[in-house]
Amino acid sequence: MDPQFLAEVQALAGALDQLDYFGVLKIPQGASPAEIKAAYYRESRAYHPDRFAAAPDPALRETVGRIYRRINEAYTVLRDDRKRTRYQQDVSGPDRMSKLRFTEAEEAAVKEEQKRKMEEQLGQTPNGRKLYATALAEIQAGRWEAAERALKSALMYESANQKFKDQLAAVQKEIEKTRPKGDQFRIK
Amino acid sequence: MSDDIAVGIDLGTSYSAVAISRGDSPPEVLANEWGERTHASVVSFLEDGTVLVGNNAKKNIITNAENTVYSAKRLIGRFYFSDEVKKAQSVMPYQIVEGPNNSVRVQVKNKVLAIPEVSALVLKEMKAIAETALGREVKKAVVTCPAYFNDNQRQATKDAGRIAGLEVLRIINEPTAAALAYGFGKDISQKICVYDLGGGTFDVSILEIGKDVFEVLSTAGDTYLGGDDFDDRIMTWLADDFLQRHGLDLRQNKFCLQMLKEAGEQAKIQVGREGTAQIHVPGICQSPEGDVLDLAQKLNADQFNRMVMDLVQRTFKVCDEALQSARLTAGDIDAVILVGGPTRLPIIRNSVKHYFQQDPMTGIDPDEVVAMGAAIQANALLNVRAAERGQASYLLDVTPLSLRVGTVGGFTEKIIEKNTPIPIEKSKTFTTSRDGQDRVRIRVYQGESNRAEGCELLGEFEFTGFRIGYRGEVQIQVTFEIDSNGIVNVSAADLETGQKTSTTINLSSGLSEQDIRKAIDQNAETALARGRAA
Repeated sequence: MDPQFLAEVQALAGALDQLDYFGVLKIPQGASPAEIKAAYYRESRAYHPDRFAAAPDPALRETVGRIYRRINEAYTVLRDDRKRTRYQQDVSGPDRMSKLRFTEAEEAAVKEEQKRKMEEQLGQTPNGRKLYATALAEIQAGRWEAAERALKSALMYESANQKFKDQLAAVQKEIEKTRPKGDQFRIK
Repeated sequence: MSDDIAVGIDLGTSYSAVAISRGDSPPEVLANEWGERTHASVVSFLEDGTVLVGNNAKKNIITNAENTVYSAKRLIGRFYFSDEVKKAQSVMPYQIVEGPNNSVRVQVKNKVLAIPEVSALVLKEMKAIAETALGREVKKAVVTCPAYFNDNQRQATKDAGRIAGLEVLRIINEPTAAALAYGFGKDISQKICVYDLGGGTFDVSILEIGKDVFEVLSTAGDTYLGGDDFDDRIMTWLADDFLQRHGLDLRQNKFCLQMLKEAGEQAKIQVGREGTAQIHVPGICQSPEGDVLDLAQKLNADQFNRMVMDLVQRTFKVCDEALQSARLTAGDIDAVILVGGPTRLPIIRNSVKHYFQQDPMTGIDPDEVVAMGAAIQANALLNVRAAERGQASYLLDVTPLSLRVGTVGGFTEKIIEKNTPIPIEKSKTFTTSRDGQDRVRIRVYQGESNRAEGCELLGEFEFTGFRIGYRGEVQIQVTFEIDSNGIVNVSAADLETGQKTSTTINLSSGLSEQDIRKAIDQNAETALARGRAA
């Protein structure tokens, strides 16, 4: 084995717990999926355990194994768009050192976030969901006033739902447009 | 050690093969003394205490039915209570009995053997074939298994290798091996699909090949679907027809059943090759009046296709799943590789062509490609300097099943997602739930169900030797590792002190170290009845 490479292995193994996943794959933060894949292939060529399967030194095999498992871990998180976004926020934040590895807590947070978004789309209460669905149907049919009523009712159940509010604003804008111009309401 | 050699062994449900790759020469499949390149995975225990393995042993399925074990791979690494074992018990002429810890054993004559011991005899034959062909001892091998095999099945396969006196350098997935044989040294960048329909299992792997890197993007499979199921359909048809004509059910007699099975397999091969099959089994049984009855039928391609259409469609459901996991569509695939004997059937080739909108690759022998890939990998693992000589190839494989731990109320929680690249490790922290608790037990599963009963149990681990404190105070970090063989290792440490805890496995279908040692000795004592027919 090349002594220079062996030194590299030792240095990387020592620094492993200080590196974020971008560092493990030797790419800048914000790298594109194609760059991530290319880096993964490049690092695999260097640290794949098969290369060292016949190496006589068991300590070297163990060290390389540890590095490669981390490379796989990094790739698993970074190849997933949602996880990568979350991870990038985590390691850019103040808690960087404790967030270097994507653990079950982060995994759960990503899932939670996804669930929240899904629910926001449709509403969190049965009545809210039902009324929102009605509103969408009314919008489809172009009955703006009916849609407005449904959305206002939906907001009575879920007053904080941003999606409902946005939709209501959009509908009210439409109503505004269809209202005849110049024929303002006047008090005689 | 440049003169060290290692072979690649395709340990199949119905047939096995052994291949070697040395230096710069392309891999070659090794033939036995009669020039046979694939060998029936059948083990027949003879009167004189020797064991016959291979195509000659297959003839004994009928004449020495109780002492001839076949399709052992269907049982390997399974629990006694599993459906597959129940099914095997009803159709296999040999005796399947329960061993310790819900394991499966077969009883032949007065011997009781664990399934890895049976597979070890097949491996021993492969080793002997290689040794005869190469004229030297063979001690190391890469053995293949279906991509969709779980940890229990992989561990059992590895044990089989050890029992046969082989150092198993690696367990690799059959579709991955096929992809390696296809892409090795070709300098291509492609997305390929390996459609592997074997005797007893079906696997699909989607790979991206980037020159020397073979990345498995996803894998999916069905361990209950294979060529045998095609034979079964023909058998059922033949038996129903015979029942109608003569009022006798051939399936009631295990001897008749074996003849029927043989006829079914022959008919499938013939109908695939010639478009029509003449089935004729003289004297398959006797009527109550004492008349000897023949089984005679004609099967044409249309009839056959109708019989198996739903099986063929099931394979494409699995393809859909694999493509979806890889976030690709059928149109993104650059090449389709067919593996396994049943893929010679025109109905499979045509359906694959239709599904992928392209002809599958030709010039690849579906029976030999897996052994060749395993041989390439064996050579690479042996050779430290392969990378420098530009002969390296890197297999980036994935785990086919999600790894889970059992939680309260019969539920499970996912630890490692399926299709995650391996080797990988992941930790989870557990806390004690009682004051003064001195042991923590966790059950580990593999599967895609939230419920424990919908998953395969790998084992129950018990951790002891951590600090004792009030409940919730002691945190135990459990690390789950899946190694390059796809085999799961679990270890635990006290999170605060870093003190490693001792781990014991309470439940496991596998063999203990002691069992394996005993089996190694027994295997070494068993003589192969080589070079002669039964």
